Amino acid sequence: MEAVPDFRRHCPMSRANGILAFVKRECETCALVHPLLARLRAAGVPIRGVVQDDPGHFADLAPLDDTALEESFRHDIETVPTLVRIEGGIETGRVVGWQRDEWRDLLGDASIGEGMPAWQPGCGSKSREPGVHERLVVRYGDAGLASREIEVGEWDDPMEACFERGWTDGLPVVPPTDERILRMLAGTRRLPHEVVGRVPPNLAACTVEKVAINAVMAGCKPEYMPVVLAALETALDPIFTMHGLLCTTCFSGPVIVVNGPIAKRIGMNWGINALGQGNRANATIGRALQLIVRNVGGGVPGELDRATLGGPGKYTFCFAEDETDPTWEPLSVARGIAPGRSAVTLFQGDGIQGFIDQRSRTPEEITRSFAMSLAAVGHPKLCQFTNAMLVLSAEHYAIYRNAGWDRARITKELHAALLRPGTELVQGAQGVGEGIDPKRAGEAVPKFWEEGLLIVRAGGQAGLFSAILAGWTGGRFRHESQPVTREIVE
Amino acid sequence: MNAVVKLRDPTPEAAAVQRTRKAAPSDLAGKTVGLLDIGKMRGAEYIDRLEALLQVRGVLTRRYAKPTNTRTAPVPTLQAVATECDAVIIALSDCGSCTSCSTHDLNDLDLRGIPGVSVLTTEFRDAFAKQCGAIGYAGASVFVPHPMQNRTTAELHAFADASVDEVLERLR
Repeated sequence: MEAVPDFRRHCPMSRANGILAFVKRECETCALVHPLLARLRAAGVPIRGVVQDDPGHFADLAPLDDTALEESFRHDIETVPTLVRIEGGIETGRVVGWQRDEWRDLLGDASIGEGMPAWQPGCGSKSREPGVHERLVVRYGDAGLASREIEVGEWDDPMEACFERGWTDGLPVVPPTDERILRMLAGTRRLPHEVVGRVPPNLAACTVEKVAINAVMAGCKPEYMPVVLAALETALDPIFTMHGLLCTTCFSGPVIVVNGPIAKRIGMNWGINALGQGNRANATIGRALQLIVRNVGGGVPGELDRATLGGPGKYTFCFAEDETDPTWEPLSVARGIAPGRSAVTLFQGDGIQGFIDQRSRTPEEITRSFAMSLAAVGHPKLCQFTNAMLVLSAEHYAIYRNAGWDRARITKELHAALLRPGTELVQGAQGVGEGIDPKRAGEAVPKFWEEGLLIVRAGGQAGLFSAILAGWTGGRFRHESQPVTREIVE
Repeated sequence: MNAVVKLRDPTPEAAAVQRTRKAAPSDLAGKTVGLLDIGKMRGAEYIDRLEALLQVRGVLTRRYAKPTNTRTAPVPTLQAVATECDAVIIALSDCGSCTSCSTHDLNDLDLRGIPGVSVLTTEFRDAFAKQCGAIGYAGASVFVPHPMQNRTTAELHAFADASVDEVLERLR
């Protein structure tokens, strides 16, 4: 049983015994009951209006001005009209909307409301309008957040304060105020204090609240939280090797591919410019993960992030797969997630290498063509040294689809086309020091591990251009570092 | 100073609220230390002596001056220090506005990769701490006796003699 709220401490205005009628002018049901409330008050019933918008309109109800919504917040009003009976400073009864029988019970008068409808629902309380409740929690309540408060001086710009504290990736972040954090936390059912995992390189415990703070800073909407949480949990799977990926001297960072219904629901981009800028969900989900690694994990470039050159994908690299063509098996399904479920796949990837082929007409031709470009991943003479992701555009996929080739066939044929004679690849061959172990000279050498070539469908409908994302060199340890796919729990 | 905005810490809170300042070279001999005169009267006399003492210790020096102690340093001045120096000493703050502005200068140069120390008078110990707190930066400071405006040149030189080792120590 819930504790009876005690308003004596917080509500000096509304602690007196009597009936509080929470109303607003713009509500039709409030207009319906207004004359009744006025008659009752005139007859001596201790009714006071608590008015959310226009106290003057309810002058006949001795109104309390609640345009600041403090009373509505403290009484947890969700609907107007709401009648609240106060006795001895505590609530002893409540009726929501117009319900004639319940009003009669509450007011102890079986005659009221004759000639009125038996029932009429109320309108939403102004204290429950979008964004308002969180603001009222911060202003009048307890935000319930555990993270340390950082005060910014009167003359200081909060955005600059975030830069000066080293919390940003070099671009401005949204200042993480309580109001914004509470809104972000509403995007998940998980509790703020729940620990999601330990984030490298410092292996610091990361709570849902810290995720929300960094998601605010990244610019996420609350509805992205399930994806951000899933991406973080996936990154923290030991086989993803986020620790090594962060500290590496290589170019790579986590590339997030989102599958399933959530991608459309939150407005992600898998079409034109899918790998580029301009879509809020794509941009901020990837950025949130990177900010968590930076701020919670301590992965600061130049300190423990030791990338020789890095890459622009380390700001953010997140996109959705195009699942609109039913002939295409989504990446998540190919990796074991049930069809129709949402999932993230994290790949340790570099920036993109463009692939141009505007002449090939048959699947065999385009496969050989892709193989020529894929062979260059990392270095043309290195094999089974990195994984790779091929982002297959609509027009290139159409060549395969029209020939009846599906994901499995394309993958198999690409691996076959990427077999090369070891003599051309060993160290020193072709006058280049780099290369594979000389002992493999007699082999036909695959470029990638069998599971190391991921294919994703994305991009605009026009353009015979696809993209190759080279994988991280950690991928050479086949059983130690792998891309990871995980279902998104909402 | 009233805090009008409260943010929540996005980090695991393992570190202090204030950002640690950049570390200076472990040995300043042969390195260049910028001497930024904030423009307060009499400050130059302290800096003159400090400069001579640094040079005796093998430290190279360059002089810079703000046009006024009541504002933060002009960006070209900060850029010049960042380009030409390995560390910076900012002197000599003995008032509220100069303490606030010079602390911002110290922080700005730190963010440009130049570690520094600010020399102030004892009366402004709290003001320096408060300004550092508001910025979120653990700035380094050395305090000389207050007041300084009514001192003789010899007394100001004596302040420099008495503080030079601490200034170098705080820079490291």
